[in-house]
Amino acid sequence: MILAVTYDLWSFVSENWEPLLRGLGRTLYVSGIAIVGAFVIGAVLGAARAHRVPVVSQFAAIYVELVRNTPILVQIFFLYFALPQPIGPWPGVRFDVFTVAWLSVMIWGGAFNTENFRAGFEAVPYRFREAGLALGFSKLATFLNVTLPIGGRIALPSSINTYIAVLKNTALLYVISYEELTTVALQVNALTLETAETFTVLAVVYLALVWSLSIAIRQLESRLALPEER
Amino acid sequence: MSFPDWIEPVARYMFQEGLKGTLRIAVISVVASTVIGVVLGTLLTIRFWPTRTLIRFYIEVWRGLPIIVTLFMIFFLGPVIAGRFEFDPFTAATIGLTLWGSAQVAEATRGAVQSIPREQHEAASALGFGWVGRHVYVILPQALRRLIPPLVSLLVGIILNSTLAQVIGANELLESAERSVERLAAPPPSGSFEIHAIEIYGAVMVVFFLICFPLTRLAAYLERKLVA
Repeated sequence: MILAVTYDLWSFVSENWEPLLRGLGRTLYVSGIAIVGAFVIGAVLGAARAHRVPVVSQFAAIYVELVRNTPILVQIFFLYFALPQPIGPWPGVRFDVFTVAWLSVMIWGGAFNTENFRAGFEAVPYRFREAGLALGFSKLATFLNVTLPIGGRIALPSSINTYIAVLKNTALLYVISYEELTTVALQVNALTLETAETFTVLAVVYLALVWSLSIAIRQLESRLALPEER
Repeated sequence: MSFPDWIEPVARYMFQEGLKGTLRIAVISVVASTVIGVVLGTLLTIRFWPTRTLIRFYIEVWRGLPIIVTLFMIFFLGPVIAGRFEFDPFTAATIGLTLWGSAQVAEATRGAVQSIPREQHEAASALGFGWVGRHVYVILPQALRRLIPPLVSLLVGIILNSTLAQVIGANELLESAERSVERLAAPPPSGSFEIHAIEIYGAVMVVFFLICFPLTRLAAYLERKLVA
C-alpha cells in the first residue's frame, strides 16, 4: 500500500546515482582484471592440459577440479578469513579486500576457462598441427599459429559464458564488504529504505550487462567463426 | 595421535546443524527446479508467442541475475511488497535457488524435447494421443533420458550455490562453520581465543568436494553414455 504511493524511481536514481555508479565502476574494474587473468590462465593451462605437458597438466587438473567442486563463496571466505591464520610452517598471509576481490573471481574463472580452452585445443584436428610441423614450424610456433587461433575460436563461446559468470560472481564480494555494485546498493537501501527502487536499479543494471554480453557473444561468434562454418 | 579437544563439538555441530541445512535447501530446490523447469521447458516448445515470450523472459531473468541478488531481492523486497511474502532465510534461499535452477532446467528441457524426431509426435498423434498425452507418455520419457546429465550438473550447481543462503543468515554448512570459527575465537567460557579458520573452512571445502566431485564425474560419464 505504502509502496504504491512512494515508488519513485526517478527521484531515487537522481539522489543516489553517484554511489551506485561508483559501485558499478568497481564491479566492472574487478571483472576486467579477473577476465584478463582468467583468459591467460585458461590459455596457458588449457594448452598444458591439451598437450599433456607433464607436471603442469596434472597440477592444472587438480586446480580445475578443486575450484569447480567447491563453492566460490567458501573460496572467498578461505582467502579472506582463513589464510591470515598462521598454522604449522605457514606464516599466515593477509590480503587486503581488493586483492581478494579480483584474485578470488580470477581463480574461479581461470579454472573454468582452463576446461574451455582444453576442449577447444583438443578439437583442433591433429592433421592441422602435423601440417604446421611439416612446414618447419617449431612446436611453440605451431601452437601459436595453428592451435591457438583455431582452438581459441572453438573455445570462444564457452569462455565468454565463463566471463559473464565471473562478472555475476563479483556480486558475492559483498561478503568481504568490497564496495562493488551489490554492496553499494544494499548500503543505499539501508540508508533510504527505498527497497523497491534499489532492487529495480540493481536488477536492471545486472540484466543489461549480462544480456548485452550474451548478445555480443552471438555477434562475435559469427564474425570469428572459422571460414568453413560461416 | 589424538585430535585436539575443540574438534569434536565443532564437527558434530557442523554435521548435525550445518550439513542438514545445506541438504534441506539443496533437495527441495532440486526437486522443485526439476518439476517447474520440465513443465516450462515443454511449454516453451509450443509455437504460441505469448507463452513463449513469458517463459523466455522468466528464463533470461533468473539465469541473468547473480543468484545472490535474487536471494537479496526475495529476502528484502518480499516483505515490502506484501506481509505474506516475508520469508525466513531458508525459504528465501530455496525459492531463489529454485528460480535459478528451474530456468536452467527449462532451457535444457526445451533442447531435449526439440531433439526428439518429429515422427515420434506424428506417431503419437496417429495413435490418438492429444497434446498432453503425447508429451507425457511419448515425448518426455524419451527427452528425460537426455536430461539426466544436465540434471546431475544442476544438482552440483545447487549444492554449491546453497552456500549463498549463508549470506542471508540461513544455518547451512558455511554458516555453521563461520559460527564455529567465531565461537572458538571468543574469550572463555564460550571460546578459547583460538583461531581455527584454516582447519574449519578447509573442512567445509573438503566436504563439498567429496559430495560434488563424484557427481561431476557421474554427469560427465552419463553425458558420454546417454547422449553420444
